[in-house]
Amino acid sequence: MTREVEILLVEDNPEDVELTLHALRQQNLANDIQVVRDGEEALDFLFCRGPYSQRSFESPPRVVLLDLKLPKVDGLEVLREVKSDPRTRAIPVVILTASREEKDMVNGYHLGVNGYIQKPVDFDKFREMVKRLGLYWLVVNEPAPPAAFRPR
Amino acid sequence: MGEKELTEQLVDPQETIRLLQKELEETNSGLVALTLELEYRVDARTAELREAHDELRRTNSELLQLTLELEERVAQRTEELRKLNEELEARVRARTSELEATNKELEAFTYSVSHDLRAPLRHLDGFSKLLLEEYSAELPAQAQHYLTRVREGAVRMGQLVDDLLNLSRVGRQELRCHIVGLNALLEEAQRDLQPEMESRQIDWKISPLPFVECDRALMKQVFANLLSNALKFTRPRERAVIEVGTMTRDDQTVVFVHDNGVGFSMKYVDNLFGIFQRLHRQEDFEGTGVGLATVQRIIRKHGGRVWAEGELDKGATFYFALGSPRAEGREKAPEWGRPYDERSGNPAG
Repeated sequence: MTREVEILLVEDNPEDVELTLHALRQQNLANDIQVVRDGEEALDFLFCRGPYSQRSFESPPRVVLLDLKLPKVDGLEVLREVKSDPRTRAIPVVILTASREEKDMVNGYHLGVNGYIQKPVDFDKFREMVKRLGLYWLVVNEPAPPAAFRPR
Repeated sequence: MGEKELTEQLVDPQETIRLLQKELEETNSGLVALTLELEYRVDARTAELREAHDELRRTNSELLQLTLELEERVAQRTEELRKLNEELEARVRARTSELEATNKELEAFTYSVSHDLRAPLRHLDGFSKLLLEEYSAELPAQAQHYLTRVREGAVRMGQLVDDLLNLSRVGRQELRCHIVGLNALLEEAQRDLQPEMESRQIDWKISPLPFVECDRALMKQVFANLLSNALKFTRPRERAVIEVGTMTRDDQTVVFVHDNGVGFSMKYVDNLFGIFQRLHRQEDFEGTGVGLATVQRIIRKHGGRVWAEGELDKGATFYFALGSPRAEGREKAPEWGRPYDERSGNPAG
């Protein structure tokens, strides 16, 4: 039995991983975070396969923080696969990216993303944003019940 | 005696016949001569006519030849023009696809800048901040000062990247025009700038502005940039006065934003709208020198023009006009300068 993961952070850049984890840790939100470093690993995790075959669809992460520019499989493709499968569709996915290109936002929302956040350069702002994000998805928001992850 | 002879002669039948014969012969030979003469003249005329006919025929065939030649030349020229046209079209196609390729490259470049250039800046700022927070006890004041400078540099460059991306986006983006009330846009821009107005005394003098056909998001940015400048450059004033109104110039309605800020010398008015051009020191008034360049690009994209007047230490006025006034636009928009109730869609008063 693996511990439940609350946040899945999909981020290839180690500095970004460190800063994001630091910000979450300061808010005491970093207890159950899984970091994956590319789109393929993200899909393996979410679809409980490969190195994550021990995981179960019954215990999805409370939120996925998804970078767009990722090695192997890019963020939008990860989003597409997650949102087109009934077993994963209800998992909240928030795009956390440097890009403010309209194209990315349009594609993200068309694919059903639950939030879109541009990482600010200013670390204070970034930290504030991570704090609100964590609080919202882990504290304020009611998670989807198990039935939401079963095909209808 | 004569009479007798005559009588004798008259009565002499022989003589009479002879005389008559002679007369006849004479007439006959006259006739022959006439016939000959006529025949000769007919021949001559016939020859003349034949010659004329031949001449006509020659001329005709020459004309025919000329026509054929002309037709051939026209056909030749048409063919040449067709070829030229094809060449031109091919060149236009080639150039278009070149431009499309360049455009794509540019977009990829911008995308990469947007995504990749900001990441290291974020790291610079983030780790400097962490260093300052977590090791402040061990860091001498001077070291903390340096780190603060590093952070400022990173944030400033982040701003610069954002502004540049924005400017390039304005250039690439196609206008999505609707009829928009400029007062509504102005109010939105004012709301967004609220943080910059905190603990300041600002007199806003806002006149009714027209409804115009424009791209909403871009026009809002025009107001945001102009108002942000006005707020910034009136900061040294105890009481800032910012006025937004309209006036008529060259039969065109012009919107202006006036402030009583530090102004500028008209000597530098030409630099004002240039990218990266700044008239103030960074420590006096922060900025990237992209704001007014963006305003100009947006206004020009709308077919309009923008200009400025200023006086050092007195204030600045920025003017813009959107294209030439069109009758169509006039029908949809109310009279300029008259109060307009947006909710009812009717001119008030």
